[in-house]
Amino acid sequence: MVHITINGKVVKAAEGEMLLTVLKREGIDIPALCHHEAIEPTGNCRLCMVEISRAEWEGWKKHVTSCLYPVEDGLIVNTHTPEVIEIRKTIIDLQLANCPDSDVIQKMAEEYGIYKTSYETVPEGDNCIMCYACTRICEVLGKSAISAVMRGHKKVIAPPFGEEPPDCIGCLACAQICPTNVIPWTDTDSTRTIWKKTFDLITCTSCGKAVITKDFAEYLMAQRQIPKEYFETCDECKRMATARKMGEIVTKAQEAAL
Amino acid sequence: MTRQDLTKLTAIFDHYPTDAGSLIGVLQDIQREFHYLPREAMTKTAETLGVPLSKVYSVATFYNAFSLTPRGDTIVRVCKGTACHIKGADLLLDQLESGLGIKPGETTEDMKYTLEVVNCVGACAMAPVMIVNNKYHGNVACNRALKLVKKD
Amino acid sequence: MRIDSIAKLSQWRQECQAKLAAQKRKVLVCLGPGCLAGGSDEILEEFKRIVAEKKLADISVEAVKKTGCHGFCARGPLVVIEPEGIFYSKVKKANVAEIVETTLEKGKLVEKLLYTDPRTDKTYTDYKEIPFYARQERISLRNVGQIDPDEIGEYVARGGYAALAKVLTEMKPQDVIDAVSQSGLRGRGGGGFPTGRKWATCAREESDIRYVLCNGDEGDPGAFMDRCIMEGDPHSVLEGMIICAYAVGSREGYVYVREEYPLAVINMQKAIDAAHECGLLGANILASGFSYDIKISRGGGAFVCGESSALMRSVAGEVGEPRAKYIRSVVKGLHDKPTVLNNVETYATVPVIMEKGADWFRSIGTEKSTGTKAFSLAGKVRNTGLIEVPMGISLREIIFDIGGGIPDGREFKAVQTGGPSGGCLPADKLDLPVDFDTLTRAGSMMGSGGMIIMDDRTCAVDVARYFLNFLVEESCGKCVPCREGLYQLHKLCVKICEGKATENDLALMERLSKVIQTASLCGLGQSGPNPFVSTVQYFRDEYLAHIRDKKCPAGVCRELITYTINDKCTGCLACIKVCPVDAITGEKKKLHVIDQEACTRCGSCYAVCNFDAVDIV
Repeated sequence: MVHITINGKVVKAAEGEMLLTVLKREGIDIPALCHHEAIEPTGNCRLCMVEISRAEWEGWKKHVTSCLYPVEDGLIVNTHTPEVIEIRKTIIDLQLANCPDSDVIQKMAEEYGIYKTSYETVPEGDNCIMCYACTRICEVLGKSAISAVMRGHKKVIAPPFGEEPPDCIGCLACAQICPTNVIPWTDTDSTRTIWKKTFDLITCTSCGKAVITKDFAEYLMAQRQIPKEYFETCDECKRMATARKMGEIVTKAQEAAL
Repeated sequence: MTRQDLTKLTAIFDHYPTDAGSLIGVLQDIQREFHYLPREAMTKTAETLGVPLSKVYSVATFYNAFSLTPRGDTIVRVCKGTACHIKGADLLLDQLESGLGIKPGETTEDMKYTLEVVNCVGACAMAPVMIVNNKYHGNVACNRALKLVKKD
Repeated sequence: MRIDSIAKLSQWRQECQAKLAAQKRKVLVCLGPGCLAGGSDEILEEFKRIVAEKKLADISVEAVKKTGCHGFCARGPLVVIEPEGIFYSKVKKANVAEIVETTLEKGKLVEKLLYTDPRTDKTYTDYKEIPFYARQERISLRNVGQIDPDEIGEYVARGGYAALAKVLTEMKPQDVIDAVSQSGLRGRGGGGFPTGRKWATCAREESDIRYVLCNGDEGDPGAFMDRCIMEGDPHSVLEGMIICAYAVGSREGYVYVREEYPLAVINMQKAIDAAHECGLLGANILASGFSYDIKISRGGGAFVCGESSALMRSVAGEVGEPRAKYIRSVVKGLHDKPTVLNNVETYATVPVIMEKGADWFRSIGTEKSTGTKAFSLAGKVRNTGLIEVPMGISLREIIFDIGGGIPDGREFKAVQTGGPSGGCLPADKLDLPVDFDTLTRAGSMMGSGGMIIMDDRTCAVDVARYFLNFLVEESCGKCVPCREGLYQLHKLCVKICEGKATENDLALMERLSKVIQTASLCGLGQSGPNPFVSTVQYFRDEYLAHIRDKKCPAGVCRELITYTINDKCTGCLACIKVCPVDAITGEKKKLHVIDQEACTRCGSCYAVCNFDAVDIV
């Protein structure tokens, strides 16, 4: 256990815990776009930067991304200094120029009093903030079907050669984790299309709704030894079935009690 | 890819341990052999080294050393290092672009010439520098640029 | 031949020295990058051919040698005749026969190829007396230009691997670290971090594996010191690395070399193979029980890979994206193991410190920046080339005394050091001593040693635009301040160059620069705005001229200038032939005219005109 000072208040934390986790636990509002519990932090978006110092630094201080900074005893943290606010505002301003149509960015900008970007709007902008959440989750799932390609300002998230990614299983993890919702996908009754690749869907045997892509089910059966029957019904029908079963048990118990 | 190409590819793979650490070296050798990275070669690299194809593609597009399209017989590279810049590398480019009818990164339709801009090649003392198929030319006057290319 | 004892090494050294001493006369042909661009490879072959043909008494074909960069690139191709040190400059293949006949056969000089200092009209025979060389002190470059880099025997003859032998037999690892610390050696790659402290931290870390890596990426445009060392004296780098590996307890390492330096890759590999064969690298080095091996990792052409964490990812075969270094790479580096990463010049310096001692090294340079530093001089300076000088020397001495001043009768304007991470220093900073801390305080930095000199025909705003463009292309694209921030900073700078910016834009650039410097993930972004910040600090008037008056005082920014032809025109047709857009009309011996509508203001006409007939307005 270590003690750190956040905005003047002494707080306990576990040694090596990331600073952002502590700040969030303390209820401090720190914006962060690339951070997600399911994936390792990488520090792409820089929004969670805070100012740190230590007593023995004699007034010297520096700015760090709290998502990546392991806490240590005696750390002094300030989360809303004018410099920190200036960093966040500038980053959001830059993102607004890059993602003019993203409602998530627009909303965030408004919170910081920015209604129009100070910069030239990026002509080829695609509203992607390049946080790598999608590629990281895809890697965690063991597929790495998509990646960041090119470099610098030309960098985009894309499948190999910009075509149907051979390793994609249509799990939608990338689309769901995307903080700005810019990965498009569509479902029909029996198919799902994402990254230009179309998958067959397994439909629920009781209600007929889509459960999962065939590729994803096969992957989970092989990797996690989940039985085939698990994918035959959708979550809702599974819940209904469970509820029905529970009801039956309760009724039976009541009958027995009578 | 022809059978001959595949043999060349296998020879390259044989030089390296089959792990992710060999990726850049393998791609460099492929680039050297074929003057670009043929798509099939990248797929084979992914399979052989056990690296996801997306990662191969990521690396191939990240580094300047790799080209994803076939290049011409003569590769003309104009250095855009600082010294070359202030000594008029742009003038050389203007001459070559208008003389060859292509922009940097492009190849002429007859596949004869590819024009490239490179960051400093470390021959700054002779700026501006131009490299035609690995032959260095220093202190290139702009009116000589095109002649040097066509001569080779 | 395997050298498995110190005695054998000494014996071998004597043999190598005897072999060299037997060569009464030697012809050294520089195959450095500059001379090579002037065709020195053909000169070498011509010498070999004629010497073989003539069967001279004093010189054999083996004594016609290729060397790495001799330094005075502006006068290349260079040929040096030993033992006198006769220095022939601007040699052409056609001169070779004459040199052989006059100098090698008759012992006379070929006067027209000797160097004459344009400032004093003095002609020199021995290169060591030429001001360009006389003011230098060569430690890391001690063998570059003197030996055939392919011959390990020549390195050994000049004392090579003696430091390694001393370290392995007389010193404990901690002694080596102490000596490096006491020498005050600081990283020559740019950061200036104390080398001894880095080694000590790595050695202290608990780990089964430690790596010793060499950064030969040299991505700074305008720098070529490391290239010349790797090409011209590769064994000095290997020896430094082996000593470091012994000090920190490493068994394997990599030299990361740019793919753009093909000859450096070849020469380093040859050196590794040769050292292996002699038992100076690999298992049980010099029968000491210590083993260390080096492999080459070729960089893929990405400036960001000069950054330590990006370099390590690249060595591991990944995309060269840096990671946040709240845990330093010396603790958690390549494959998450403790890793020492130093640059080429640093390693090349280490053997000399081991041999001559920390006190000797400290006696050179300044208190906090000890020793010497190699620089590459380029741009608008007369004596472009490779130099090594004691720390603390003034910029003026480098640029004017060694560099010979500014050519073509123009004025000195600024010197750019530190590459894209550094800055530009104006004329009133010329008397500053060159050391790590002074340059940083002045708003630039030492960097790896590229020194680009600019004259009054160089535009400060255009230089900032150039570097920002470079950085936008070289940013890895991972973090927002660097990817988006530098992109916007560059856009705004272009706006100034085009005369479309306002003073508000300039203020926005200054604000944005501060955030990019604080908030970027790695050194590339953090130092990215420096070329802008330092030029606006020292050349604000020039920025304002672009903004308020829509003028480029240096006559560089295309949107703000026009080219016209005055009546000095002799009608020679040269500009007409060179104009890439056919905007110039005129007949032979008649005044030419530029069509301003068609003109793209590239300046080709100005560059080719021999009669001062093209004006920039």
